[in-house]
This record gives sequence, structure tokens and C-alpha cells, in this order.
Amino acid sequence: MPSYTLTINNDQKVVEVDSDTPLLWVLRDELALTGTKFGCGKALCGACTVHFNGKAIRACTLAVSSAVGGEITTIEGLSGDALHPVQKAWIELDVPQCGYCQSGQIMTAAELLSTNPNPSDREIDQAMAGNICRCGTYGRIRSAIKLAAEKLKSE
Amino acid sequence: MKNTLDRRSFIKLSISASGALVAGLYFQSCNEIKTPAVEHVFSPLIKIDTDGWVTLVAKNPEIGQGIKTALPMILAEELGANWEKVRVVQADYDTAYADQWAGGSYAIILNWDEMRKAGAAVRQVLIEAASKKMNVPVSELSAKNSRVEHTSSNSSLAFEELIEEASKVQLPDEVEFKSIDSFEIVGKSIPQVDLEKLVRGETKFSLDTELPGMVYATVVKNPVFEGGVSSWDDTETRNINGVLDVIELDNKEYGGRLVDANSPNFVNGVGVIATSTWAALKGAEKLKVQWDNSATRRESQKEILERFQNQFRKTTIERKDGNIENARRRAADYVEAVYEVPYLAHVTMEPMNCTVDFRQDRCEVWAPTQNPEALQNGLIKLFGLQAEQIKIHMPRIGGGFGRRYYVDYAMDAAVLSKKMGKPVKLTWTREEDIKHDWYRSASMQQIAASLDVEGNVTGWRYVVANASRKTSLGREGNPAGTEIDEYDFPAGFVSNLQLEYGHVLSDVPLGQWRAVAQSANAFPVHSFLDELAAKYNMDPIDYFLRFLGPARMVPIVGDYELDLARLIEVINQVRALSNWDSPLPAGQGRGFAANKYSGTYIAEVVTVEMTGSEKVKILRVDAVVDCGIVVNRSGAKAQVEGGIIEGLCAALYGEITIKDGVAMQSNFHDYQWMRMGDAPPVNIEFVENKMPPRGLGEPPLPPAAPALANAIFAASGKRLRKLPLLKQL
Repeated sequence: MPSYTLTINNDQKVVEVDSDTPLLWVLRDELALTGTKFGCGKALCGACTVHFNGKAIRACTLAVSSAVGGEITTIEGLSGDALHPVQKAWIELDVPQCGYCQSGQIMTAAELLSTNPNPSDREIDQAMAGNICRCGTYGRIRSAIKLAAEKLKSE
Repeated sequence: MKNTLDRRSFIKLSISASGALVAGLYFQSCNEIKTPAVEHVFSPLIKIDTDGWVTLVAKNPEIGQGIKTALPMILAEELGANWEKVRVVQADYDTAYADQWAGGSYAIILNWDEMRKAGAAVRQVLIEAASKKMNVPVSELSAKNSRVEHTSSNSSLAFEELIEEASKVQLPDEVEFKSIDSFEIVGKSIPQVDLEKLVRGETKFSLDTELPGMVYATVVKNPVFEGGVSSWDDTETRNINGVLDVIELDNKEYGGRLVDANSPNFVNGVGVIATSTWAALKGAEKLKVQWDNSATRRESQKEILERFQNQFRKTTIERKDGNIENARRRAADYVEAVYEVPYLAHVTMEPMNCTVDFRQDRCEVWAPTQNPEALQNGLIKLFGLQAEQIKIHMPRIGGGFGRRYYVDYAMDAAVLSKKMGKPVKLTWTREEDIKHDWYRSASMQQIAASLDVEGNVTGWRYVVANASRKTSLGREGNPAGTEIDEYDFPAGFVSNLQLEYGHVLSDVPLGQWRAVAQSANAFPVHSFLDELAAKYNMDPIDYFLRFLGPARMVPIVGDYELDLARLIEVINQVRALSNWDSPLPAGQGRGFAANKYSGTYIAEVVTVEMTGSEKVKILRVDAVVDCGIVVNRSGAKAQVEGGIIEGLCAALYGEITIKDGVAMQSNFHDYQWMRMGDAPPVNIEFVENKMPPRGLGEPPLPPAAPALANAIFAASGKRLRKLPLLKQL
């Protein structure tokens, strides 16, 4: 099998997998980074959202061969010991229910705030449209994004 | 209040190897074992650790309903523990704990007293130990913040300082509960226990299980309900890098599909085993299977619904009060309407999966299950194992909603692990998940009311016709009480009332879905009452309140009563909260529905707008809830928010259609789920009282669909009697 060197959470990782292997399964099965979740396999639900060169993308449809050379950040690498403001806001508002989609929600929200520090409700709707929460935590997600925006301003 | 330690009289104390005081439970089946010294007959519930922390065991499966936080909160409250220094650990399946399942909104109802008793018993032991050490009477001591305090001397001892003395104390036969007014943990808004791990992506769900030597699997199932496998060509599959084996999953080899009515067996298909999930998925895609559909019914939606409707004429009477025929003869008016409700899938966010390590003499399972008992029973029946040979772990679960009451996917994984002789992690695709669900049954429903000149209901005939989960797939269950029930509203409110069920047999696999029958039946009943209000030009809430009559205890069945004062209170409060009586701009409308479910009273108002670019925009939802004592305010609100969003979402989009015995939907593009932009703000208020806490997982869901349909009527004059609503607009 071919070998690929990936930059994940500021770390170089070498994996031997088929070229068409989606980044999702490289993260989960090869690197034990299981915070990125499998939900649909077709980029329809957002549970597998990671950052690729700072953009929120769906890891279930990005082949490993296309991920080489990019900076990949997963939920595990979003923050160090100190939490990212989005994670802090998520904790303050006790957002998750089952929690399975929340890595993806947080990664999408973090990217939104990195490009738009003060999103309107409509902008939040658009940015988050690709992330399904089956439990219906949307209200708390919206509030948490606004709270995180406040936190980012004061940081 | 004195409470006898009846069912939990087998609570025992011991000191663990690490020196902690452990209060736990005996296996009920091991009553003959007198000394709880052996780990395996002793199931911990409370551990007073030597480091100043208290470890509490969360015994029920956590599917997102917050039970992993709520039950330990009750334990900690009665124990007098400092919540800031409480560790919560998830239990494995263990019959000693009892009622270790997630369903029917029952966990709080069933465990409230039991958790209080266990916490109180250990508190009393600690207080008695402190009394000996401090040489003061028990009556002068109290437990708080993980310390036993003697207020008058301003002295106290930490729980961990009492471990040795406490281990010599006899557990009490009776315990005294704390007064509800003195609660310091229950009733607060407590962040869920796994919160930081969840937002860091560190929580291990079942699908995140990793075992040494583990291989990966997926399955290809016959898309036709109840079909079989004829033959297959796996040449291309085996050419995929990493594919290890291709194994048939034939339920006939394991007792057939109905090995157990409560834990039906797996669907026929083929499993692909590989060194990675991706190789298994690719291998599955390359598999060419000839299906055997000779014994299948190949049913289709249209024909199924026609059969349902035909059954309106061949019903069994589930409840008969007074005489509806007489009521009709004397009526000033008679109104009837027919409603249609679709099949629904569960689409839990975490797809079906299970990891099994099946060895010669034991079977160890990591499963996202709401029903570990059914899983154990399934393994016993399929493989002839003894319960002692089975170990079931219950990692956090990515959503349940009733789907994980069934254990078919776990049986898949067990067969594959046994055949491979290795630990196997099985992952179903989303497509398999949607095509092989245990669907909420579709139904045709008819309601007819006799009315007097003022529009008062004098007779009510309500017919539900569908296939029942109790008899789907040829299960020999009794459908009575599952699809329509003698308890169902408005039973008890109309003196001439008949509830009837038209039963149809079908091969569509049916199961529990959040709020089960009420997820379907609340829509016709509460839409119809709204229709009557409109017919008599009355405000819908005024009409409903008149229909209910004055506050009283309303006998429903036997001792079961509905406390109408509580229902009226939530209705009056939601009227105020939603500004019900204030005018709205043209094109907007409000709809209302209220019910009692699982002991909880809830009233909801949905406000919509129908003039914008979207067919219907839900502007807001207001809900007032009386569930008795609110155990965890944050978790309770989350359940109400989630139940309402799910109810609205199902009402707007939810529909599985069936053609030639196949579910036509396959993933989130054709089985729509609500997304951020469609989700309205939900304003929730709880009625504050000291009644015992009741369920919250399901009660918020049923009123959402009728409240939405009624709002659409108020905004547009369109009366929609068929779900999903968006298809009708």
C-alpha cells in the first residue's frame, strides 16, 4: 500500500493506506483520532467535520491522497490544555445531548468565527446548515456560537 | 418520611482493596451467597474513596437523555455528597442494578425512590459512624458537602475519615429521606458529567471501541424486508486490499428471524471482514449478491395504506363508554375526518454498530444499546451461552429514540466475531440503517364526533388502523393497547366514547419510536379538536378548556387518574408565555396542543409564518411543563427542546415510503432532518411543585405535530390531515 505523510494537529503522521481511503477512516482506524465521527459517509450530516487549511470540510469524502500537503486540524487538536472559546461556550451552555454530532458542530462553528467574528442569525444558519443534530440542540448551538463570539472579542 | 429498604434490602457495605467504602448491590440470583467479599457478586453503586472523592455508578444506558447525570444527582443529594467532588462511572450491564434500560420515559420514575433509598442508607451509615467517633447523638448530625457536621460544636468529619468506622455499622432497615425543601443538588441546573470530554472529542462512543487484534466489518443486507440470500460472487470483494473474509448472515442458522419477540434476530445478508472499516465498505460495495425474495410479501405503501383504511370496518373495540350510537342519534351535528400518518425511521446520529469479542467460553460486547437485557437474551438464544459467559459494556450512545431497543445489529457482530475467532467491530452504513430500521408504524385514523348545538362533544369515535409492532414479522404478540390504548385521550372526558383498532398484518419491521403510539395519534386527536373549535368559531384554547371541563381528578382507567388542575395550569401558563391572545400580522398563526404523557403535563404553542419565501417558517415554540420535581434543570430543558424539535421535524419532513418491500429512502438527502435554519427558538417554563418527578424523554413530542398543523391552519386556513406537512403545502 502507498504511504502518505499528513500534517494533523501540527504533527507529521505517516500512514499506509489505499489512495482512495477517506481522511475520516485514516483518522479513526489508523490514528485512533476517534473524535471525528462517521454519520453518513456522503458529506450530508457533518459529523466528520475537520479543518483543512483552516476550512471546515467533511473528512468522509476527502481522499487521503488529496489531504497530503494540507494542514489538518481535528477536534482533538482544536485547543491545547486551555479550551477553544467555542468549546468553553459549549460547556457553559451544556449544549450536547447525545453528543455524537458535537465535534463536527464545534469544528464548523470554530471556522465560522475565524472568518466572521460577529455572525448574524442568518449567517449562523448558513454556516451550520451542513451539520445535523439529531437530538435537536440547535437552539443551544446558536446561543453558544454567539457566546463564543463574545469570548473571542474579549480575548 | 420513613422508607423501608424493600427491593434494595440487599444493599451491602464493604471495604475495597483500595480502602474505599463501597455500597453496592447483590445479584438477586445469588441470594444464597451471604458474604459480599467476592467482586463478581457485588455491584457497586456508591464508593466513598479515600481521596475525598465520591464515586457514583450511573446504572442506565446514556443515549443523550442525561440519565448519566440525573441518577447520580439523586444519589448524591440523599448521600449529602459534594457534587464538585463526585466522579460518575458508567455501569456495565449487571442484573443486580435492575431496570437497566432506556425507554418509555421511565428511568426517573422507576429510580427516583431507589436512588434516594441507596443514598440515604449510606448517609445514615456515615452519620452513625460519625456519632461514634464524635461521641454525639445521631440526631445532632447531618451530612453535607461530603462531610458529617455537628453544628452546635462547629465540628465535622469528612466522609473519607469515616470509612473504617462506617464499615462496622449495620445498614439500616429503614431510611429517612431528606426533605425536598433542603435539596441542594436536585432541582439545580447541573452540566452533564461528560461535558468537557464531549467537547474535546475524547468521549468513547461504542463506535470508538478499539481492541487488540480487532478486525473491521460491515454488512450488505437484502433490501427487501424479510428476504434471504440465494448466492453471491465475492471475486471483486476479495481483490480489495485488506478484505479478509466474506461471511453469510443467515438467520435460519440461528433460530430464524423471530428467535425472541423482544430481541428479534438479524436481517439476512452478507458480512465483509477486513483490516479497516474502509476496506470493508469498499468490499461490500463490490459484492454481487443474488437475493432470494421468494417468500417475501413485497408490499407497497399505497396498498398497505388501503388495507389500513379498509380495516376501519373491521375493528376491535379497545374501549367503550356509554353509547356512541345514541349520542349520534341525538346530536345536533356530526363531524368526521380521516388522517394519515407515515412510517418513520430513527436515524440515530451514530449508525448501528457493535464490537464483539467472541471466544470459546465467553462473549464480551461493547454495544450502543438501550436494552442490554434483550442483547443478553439474544446471545443466549442464538449461541446457547449462559448469562455468566456474557459481558455487556454500555459506552455512551449516539442517540437512541427507540431504535436501540432492538439488538439485531449486535447479533450480526456476534456471528461475525464467532466465525472469525477474533474481536470484530461492525459498522453499518447509513444506508443499511435507514433500510433496516424498526420503523414507527404508519397508520390511517378516523375520528367522528357527535355535537350539541353549542359544539359540545357528546360522542367520540376514534379508530386507528395499522400494522402493529407487536405482530410485525409474524410476531405472536397482542396488538391491543399498543397502537391505540384504553388510556388514550380523550378517554374519561366524553361519556359516549369508543376507541377502536383495525389490525393489519404486514412484513414491514416495526418498533418503538420516541413516544410510540402517541407520536402518531396525538396529531389526529388534537387536530380534530382544533377543527371543532374552528367550526364553532371558538378560540382553540377556550374550546379545549371547555372540552376538559372544571379542574378535578378525572378517572381514566381503574386507579389511573388525570389531574386536570395540572393540565389546565400548563395550558393557562403557555397561553401567557406565548402571548396567545395578542394579534399577529396576516400570514402568521398560532397553534396549540397539550397532553399528559408518562405522568408529565405539557402544553405547547407553535407560531408560524406562511408569507415568506419558505412554505412555512416556524417562528417560535412555547412550552410549559409540569413534570413534578425537575431533577436537573439543564437536562430537563434539553429533553423538552429536543422532543419538540424532533416532533416538529417529523411532522414537517419525516416519511419512509415503501415500494416492493423496500424502504425507498437511504441517507440524509432523501430522509430529511431538521437543520439549524429551520429550528425555531423554544421557550420553556416548568411549573414549580413538589410532586414526584415524572418522565421527560417522550412527553414533549406528541403535541408538537398537531400544534404545528393547527398553526398552519390559523395562518393560512389550510387544514392538513396528512403527514408530513411540507408535502401537503
